[in-house]
Amino acid sequence: MNTLNKNKLIDSIARYIFMAMTIISSSFTIILFAFLFVKGIKPFLPNYEYGMINFFEFLFGMVYRQDKGIYGIGFIIINTIITGFLSLIISLPISVLTSLFIVKIVPKKFGVMMRYVVDILSGVPSVVYGVFASGLITLMVKNIGYFFGIPTAGGNSMLSVIILLAIMIFPTITSMSITAITAVDKNLEMASLALGATKTQTNFKVVLLAAKSGIFSGAILGLGRAYGEATAVSMVAGNKLYGPTFNLFDITRTLTSTMLSGLKETSGVDYDIRFSIGLILLIVIFGSNIILNVAKRRIGK
Amino acid sequence: MKIKDKIYNLITYIASSMGIIVLIAILLFIFNKGFNKLSLQMIFGKYWAVNYISVEPIKSGNFELTNEIDGIYSKNWGIALKDGDSKNITITFIHKDSPFNNLIVKDGSINLQKGYTIEKIDLGELSVGKIVGNNAQDVISTIDNYQTIQSVYFKSQSGGIFGGVIATFYLILISLSIVLPIGISSSIYLKEYEKNKKFKAILQYGIDTLTGIPSLVYGLVGVTVLFPITQLVNINSTSILLGGLTMSIILLPTIIKATNDALDNVPDSLRQGSLSLGATNFQTIYKVVLPCCINGILTGVLLSIGRVIGESAALIYTMGTFVNDAPKISSSGSSLAVMIYSFMVQENPNMELASAVSIIILIIVMILNVILRVFGKKFERKLV
Repeated sequence: MNTLNKNKLIDSIARYIFMAMTIISSSFTIILFAFLFVKGIKPFLPNYEYGMINFFEFLFGMVYRQDKGIYGIGFIIINTIITGFLSLIISLPISVLTSLFIVKIVPKKFGVMMRYVVDILSGVPSVVYGVFASGLITLMVKNIGYFFGIPTAGGNSMLSVIILLAIMIFPTITSMSITAITAVDKNLEMASLALGATKTQTNFKVVLLAAKSGIFSGAILGLGRAYGEATAVSMVAGNKLYGPTFNLFDITRTLTSTMLSGLKETSGVDYDIRFSIGLILLIVIFGSNIILNVAKRRIGK
Repeated sequence: MKIKDKIYNLITYIASSMGIIVLIAILLFIFNKGFNKLSLQMIFGKYWAVNYISVEPIKSGNFELTNEIDGIYSKNWGIALKDGDSKNITITFIHKDSPFNNLIVKDGSINLQKGYTIEKIDLGELSVGKIVGNNAQDVISTIDNYQTIQSVYFKSQSGGIFGGVIATFYLILISLSIVLPIGISSSIYLKEYEKNKKFKAILQYGIDTLTGIPSLVYGLVGVTVLFPITQLVNINSTSILLGGLTMSIILLPTIIKATNDALDNVPDSLRQGSLSLGATNFQTIYKVVLPCCINGILTGVLLSIGRVIGESAALIYTMGTFVNDAPKISSSGSSLAVMIYSFMVQENPNMELASAVSIIILIIVMILNVILRVFGKKFERKLV
């Protein structure tokens, strides 16, 4: 009887420990947002120790110069959104076709190998992509610019950032699409084939349509990754002081590359403003998530 | 119709070859740039050179050599020199009886070693060396004319990354030892204990949101939220401990998901069997369910190790970008990935060294991938 009671006690203690751990891990999100919010809005409050920054000038300003105390990130937000979307536009079709190829077209053995390629690409750390980009992609862009007679800043340009991001989000979207395409009901395909459609027609018109929702989720995830990517982007962005950048061969500046520039400061406005930019970054990411999710539901109908 | 199909298929073929082309391009580029730098000395050496000045004069002798060696050899001094990168005069060989083998420096004696660089040799009436603007040939032909060398100013070999290896190892150790208990317990609670669906969904949502947050933001939050925790143990600057704590939050969703998948794979009949024999819920989990999950948890651990090795953005804020040759848990230092970043953004970017470190990281990532595959297969075989 005694051991039974003891075991019951252990059982309930364990339950509460597990519960505490779960609540801790789940509440990290809230802690994270709360701290970022508190730190992020500090520069815009009247009693800010280094002199208040006008929030509207911050949000809509088109010049960012730390040396002159001008902090306008309007153009940086636009740059971030443009580079993110353009890289998604390049990467999405390639990723979807690759996953279709892996799941439906190619023999199984080769498909396994292709999956391995995707896995390795998703395991390559972003700094390594950064080294690759600042060595090879910039060189490529420089030569393309040279060919068209457009000068580039040693290849550091918006186009380099877009190509880099397109490569980096490729494995994310591909693996989500693979899952989505694998999950498509076999009966649908059979029905399509039985109606006389060819294999290719079935793949493109039935399978892809049925996997639409999963592919869309992959795109949302990929876009989030593109917005949040920091080290690699900061190596090729070039950090322009004003904008927005619409010329593909001009240097650009994204939210993350701004956050990583000027790491030396450990206090002052330049330090605190990073938290504000971080907050804006999260808002951009979650904002586009919401918009795309609404779009997904619309298309889903 | 047939032609249209063929075109469609052709497009898929082209699109899917892109991934392979990119991977090959990355590998070729990184290996091409960094392979020459890769050596044991680079992996186990120090990044910063140490300066030495010998304080006692040395005398020449006769050190004839019969075999061919690299560099220009001085038989009077038993030393061979070569012009290295950026005008350095590098030692390529030292005769075992050479006076250079036993130089008296300030705090004792030191052996000159292959790879060290000669900055200046003081011959009394004149000096030769890199500082004075000589090359290896000048140095050898000048010192061959003298019997005594007053003092030698030399530098130990630089450009090693062992500090980064140690820092990365510490990071893995710290972050895993924090995230494993928290992650596994959370996962168990969500799967085995919590029956209230709404509450469970809220908890799960909180954890899932962590995946979507960019690592740079984790770094920012790490320096504000977690910094007070490291201050409790008297660490008042960026440190490896702070980096490890930050990484443990980043890894949380990975570990929870891996454990969750493993728990899902444990057949319910096992749980019911254990419970019907009178075991408590905890005993069932501890003795029956968890042992079945060990492969799944290991998968999570391997994924986490890969993530820690590759992470840079979060660590730049929390550990600093300073390359530390002897990192401690309480000191700042940079992991291998952060090292690559600091090599690339310093005033003269060192692409070769960055690529060499990238090769090491890529090899580790690939090995982890292979192990994961093997594990995955075993895992399936055991439970299905």
